Amino acid sequence: MAARLTPERQPISALGVVAPPPIHVQTPSFDGSLGTLFQCVRDHKVDLMEVPLAPICEAYFTYLLQSPDVSLDEAAAALIALAHLLERKAWGLLPTVEAEPVVEESLELPSPSVQRYDPAIEALELWHQERSRTFFRDFESGPDPYEVPYTLSNVSAADLALAFERVLKRAKPDVMQPLGAPRKSIAEQMSVVLKSLAKEWLSLDVIVPDDITRSDAVYFFLALLELVRLGQASVRLGETEVEFARAA
Amino acid sequence: MSIVERLEALLFVSDGPVEVSVLAMTLGVTEGQVEQGLEVLEARLDERGAIDLVKIAGGYQLCTKQEHAELVVNYLKPQRQKLSRSLMEVLAVVAYNQPITITEIEQVRGVQSEYSVRALLERRLVEEMGRKPAPGRPVLYGTSAQFLHQFKMNDLTQLPKLEDPQEDAFAIVRSTVSPDA
Repeated sequence: MAARLTPERQPISALGVVAPPPIHVQTPSFDGSLGTLFQCVRDHKVDLMEVPLAPICEAYFTYLLQSPDVSLDEAAAALIALAHLLERKAWGLLPTVEAEPVVEESLELPSPSVQRYDPAIEALELWHQERSRTFFRDFESGPDPYEVPYTLSNVSAADLALAFERVLKRAKPDVMQPLGAPRKSIAEQMSVVLKSLAKEWLSLDVIVPDDITRSDAVYFFLALLELVRLGQASVRLGETEVEFARAA
Repeated sequence: MSIVERLEALLFVSDGPVEVSVLAMTLGVTEGQVEQGLEVLEARLDERGAIDLVKIAGGYQLCTKQEHAELVVNYLKPQRQKLSRSLMEVLAVVAYNQPITITEIEQVRGVQSEYSVRALLERRLVEEMGRKPAPGRPVLYGTSAQFLHQFKMNDLTQLPKLEDPQEDAFAIVRSTVSPDA
């Protein structure tokens, strides 16, 4: 491969456009001037990937340095031609995105295979039923916590709803949270609520902090109900409203 | 005091299943002696009284006999919640394929299962068993000791054997090709 300046000069092409200087390019796949290479590449007659461009760039610099009477128009035309070739080759060298393989989709929808577990589910249900007829010493290892009896004494669901409604009325609207913000678990909230309970009977209005948002109020109330269900908090109907206290 | 009586005393105060090795270490005897003693105790309890000895969740524990269930229920008034069909499905899929990710459960069921897994986690029937070394490191789930206890199993080998769906397909083809066979 070689690139050199050739003596012949054609400053103006037949179309009246300034032609690039006669930098001669000689490679295994192309032999001719820079202008011809530019045309051939543009017309897809030469594979630019097989033409090294570094020697052509060197020849261009030599041309700039060694020609005292360099024409700026010619130099600019060569620069444009070279820049075009470099950009085109650079794009060609970039890894191409492979087309997604065409997956032959089956005509049938994938059928869930859960029916396979039907006999096991039947057996498990039977065992669960049998197990529910035996009682162990400790509920932690015996019946699950969902089976623990709890009492609401004389408190009805409507009383609880009324107390919750009062809290919701004074709760602040929620601040917009970014998507994916970490959520508080009920378990975490339960420990917070447990700390706010006292041995004395207090109304829900007193227990719930003043500057609470609506979402936090919901969390608070759910955690409180869970504590009542697990027997860690007690509830009763006071003189005017529902009251809560830490279980003895 | 005989080993049988000592075993009964230990099991009476235990609030969970006790492994044979723990009983042997506590009593200062061999595991074989403990197992012999447990057999005698089981037979003795079977004959009399309201208490049974059961092998459950990898150990031994005392429980009330089934015939007294109504009496105990009337006394304790437990609020039992039957597991829904979807929860049972997820539980079965986890039990047979553990450790398993939620995505894999959903592939088997063909429906979203995140809620069911959460419900089972709350009931402590399944538990996290680490993370899968795959993109996103999804959580792996498996059944818990509570699962064995709640379903009266000693270990997972007691799960009923599932039929291989491939074998079924072969059987159908075979019966179609040669109905006499």
